[in-house]
Amino acid sequence: MSEAKPAGKRDRAVWRRPMPQDEDLAHQIEHEREQHLLLDPRYPLNIDQDVLDPMYRLTKRFWVMFVILFGLVAMAGTTWLVQMWWGLGITGLDRPVMWAIYIVDFVYFIGIGHAGTFISAALRVLKIEWRRPISRAAELVTVFGLITAAMFPLIHIGRPWKFYWLLPYPNERQIWPSYHSPLLWDMTAIMTYLSCSILFAWISIIPDLAMARDHTQGWRHTFYEMLAFGWRGTETEWANHETALNIFSYGIIPVMFSVHTIVSWDFAMALQPAWHSTIFGPYFVIGALFSGVGAVIIALALIRKFMHLDYFLRQEHFDGMAKFLLLLSLAWDYFYFNDVIVPWYGQDPVEKTILAILTGGTMAPLFYLMLFSNVLLPATLFLKRVRNSIPAVIVVAIFVNIGMYIERYLIIPVSLGQNWLPFDWGYYVLHLPETLITLGAFGFIFFAFLAVSRLFPLIPVWEVYEGQVLQGLRRIGRALVPTRSEPD
Amino acid sequence: MAKTLVLGLFHEASPTADTLDQLRGLGIADDEITVLSSIPYRAEILGRPRPKGRVGTYAGAGAILGLATGLFLSVGIFLLYPIEQGGQPIVPIPPTLIILFEVTMLGTMWAAFLGLLRANRFPITKSQLYDPRITEGHLGVLVEVGDAHADQVESILRTNGAHHLKRAEAATPPDFRHRAFWATIIGAVVVGAILVTLVAYNVIDLSFPTNMADQASIASQQGPRLAAPAQAVPIQGPVSIDDQPATEPLASTPDSIARGKTLFDIHCALCHGQDAKGDGKLSGFFNPKPKDLTSAAVQELSDQEIYMVITNGFGPMPSLAENLSRTERWDVINYIRTLKGK
Repeated sequence: MSEAKPAGKRDRAVWRRPMPQDEDLAHQIEHEREQHLLLDPRYPLNIDQDVLDPMYRLTKRFWVMFVILFGLVAMAGTTWLVQMWWGLGITGLDRPVMWAIYIVDFVYFIGIGHAGTFISAALRVLKIEWRRPISRAAELVTVFGLITAAMFPLIHIGRPWKFYWLLPYPNERQIWPSYHSPLLWDMTAIMTYLSCSILFAWISIIPDLAMARDHTQGWRHTFYEMLAFGWRGTETEWANHETALNIFSYGIIPVMFSVHTIVSWDFAMALQPAWHSTIFGPYFVIGALFSGVGAVIIALALIRKFMHLDYFLRQEHFDGMAKFLLLLSLAWDYFYFNDVIVPWYGQDPVEKTILAILTGGTMAPLFYLMLFSNVLLPATLFLKRVRNSIPAVIVVAIFVNIGMYIERYLIIPVSLGQNWLPFDWGYYVLHLPETLITLGAFGFIFFAFLAVSRLFPLIPVWEVYEGQVLQGLRRIGRALVPTRSEPD
Repeated sequence: MAKTLVLGLFHEASPTADTLDQLRGLGIADDEITVLSSIPYRAEILGRPRPKGRVGTYAGAGAILGLATGLFLSVGIFLLYPIEQGGQPIVPIPPTLIILFEVTMLGTMWAAFLGLLRANRFPITKSQLYDPRITEGHLGVLVEVGDAHADQVESILRTNGAHHLKRAEAATPPDFRHRAFWATIIGAVVVGAILVTLVAYNVIDLSFPTNMADQASIASQQGPRLAAPAQAVPIQGPVSIDDQPATEPLASTPDSIARGKTLFDIHCALCHGQDAKGDGKLSGFFNPKPKDLTSAAVQELSDQEIYMVITNGFGPMPSLAENLSRTERWDVINYIRTLKGK
């Protein structure tokens, strides 16, 4: 990292004091700077450039990825058109399993969309310092995860042009959607969560858009100028900005909990064996956060590597996220055990059959892979050595996402094959159309990140500044101790 | 007296705070000074009065609006257009709470966003006195002052280390593009709502492509009559179809006939009699009497028909499906066939 002063600029970062004479203290300061972003201040102009420069980098590798990911999305779009024309019959959906991969994708991507807001809002509310550089990427994971998830009910209903039947509006036939149905609760909750997540991300990016506006020319300047609304950073603007962020932070956390609880009610409200469970609400919320934190870790690792943001995203951030992931893994274990032991003890014949399929039947390989990914592997994060290795944390995060995808698969089509009427039992077989559309959905998330990485600052620069200005080291005895920047 | 805007940039917070004190000493009111910064400095750091935010008020209003909308959706609609569902309440409370929560939060947060724009008069499209160095970490002090004092203010800023001083006239021309922006947004929402309503009431008739009507279909009463699918249940209930036995018949072998006789003696003879003449010990209790199984009337029935009678019963005769397995029924039928004309 270059520490060179910008030519002709005076050292004006007052919080970056000269090194003390005492060698021991100087050594300690150097160590702290290496460890903590907020104790390692640089000239704000350098930070601006560090965030803005990679946005101009349109290398060959970028275009190759762009074309590949766009191809995936286009392939999914074409498949969807084909499916619209020929009907859902070309997929593996058949009696009794009428909810399968599309619903698995829906739940999975909604889950991905949970951690971002939680990390951003909850860590802001709790004033946890290491959130500062990661909140933007987390919010974007939420926004793209939710957009992807919101596509799946449309894909799943087969005739997407009838979607508006779900919306309440005055109409000729005086027919209104029945809000007695969990599916309607779901749509309302997702609409609230999606639109508010976008607004939340937008509010927190406004000062950074102003920063980008001040340091760019041409179309980018015009683009940021429009989106920044003419932000100058006056006291009133900041005060209103903070109030709005606080309202959103406190507002979006209960909404986030409600969304995945309601998603779980799509299942739990039905009398289907293995679905009809009171624990589904919190169990799904924890599962969503679990896979979502994993997804945020993957996203952070990708932008760190490809946008060269290793100054901002350091080991301390991956360590914090890994601890969070570990905690969520333990919580997930607890809920999953609850969800399994009660039906097992009850020995209801249908639920017994489903358990047998999981533990010793056709689904056993997936079941044990899920337990490995969600229980055993994350438990290695207890070891500091694993947490301190960014590649290891990424591997765990990837496995957590595989495990959570399998979990949704085992819950949805596998349970649905065994209903209360044994003559109607069956199983679901994955067909080509839903495979292609699922691949395209994953492609879309990466594609959206790729596109956004060249358009918007992925690091909340103003939050990092703020932390660096306000945080410092205080000497207690022989040691230097970091001080908090936000008392409360 | 015309007013002038003076902007000076500072490197740090401390000289900024000193400058603000001196400006106040000059008799400049707090609301004529604005500090521009790249991070939210707390008011105490700069010794400034805490600005009054109005976003909370907007959010509160949005919450009330959201709650009212939620009540309309989850209560109002059902009272206007009741949906009877199995004697359950028209407006059940738990789902209503869910909708109220979601729509209230939606209203709160949307209003907080719009309130942020409104309170900050966003988007600001007229030119403002500003310096891009502010987002590089500088603090800007912007003073609105009468022309007579402008030089004095500038010198205070300069003594405290301000750089890149700027001046502009404090004329405030109306921000037409700002109004145009909001007019466009509101107009788009209104036009959108009108369009949706027109489509909803079929004033604008959109015919979506669908191939549902293009599939092979047969109108009512249209011939030729189609054969029922192999596994279809006839509308008059279970009947025997000659070439479609319910289960595979058993070949008539001496073994089968012997088994049939044993089973006949156990299950049938009580009513139909040892000789199958319809004169069993219990035959006197039935009206009509049990059938003579050796008679032509019975022997002319097809195997399937006899199978159906054993399985489902006939008249006073009960079903023997629980007593005889499927193959056992065929054994009995094979035995009955040997009684023809005896």
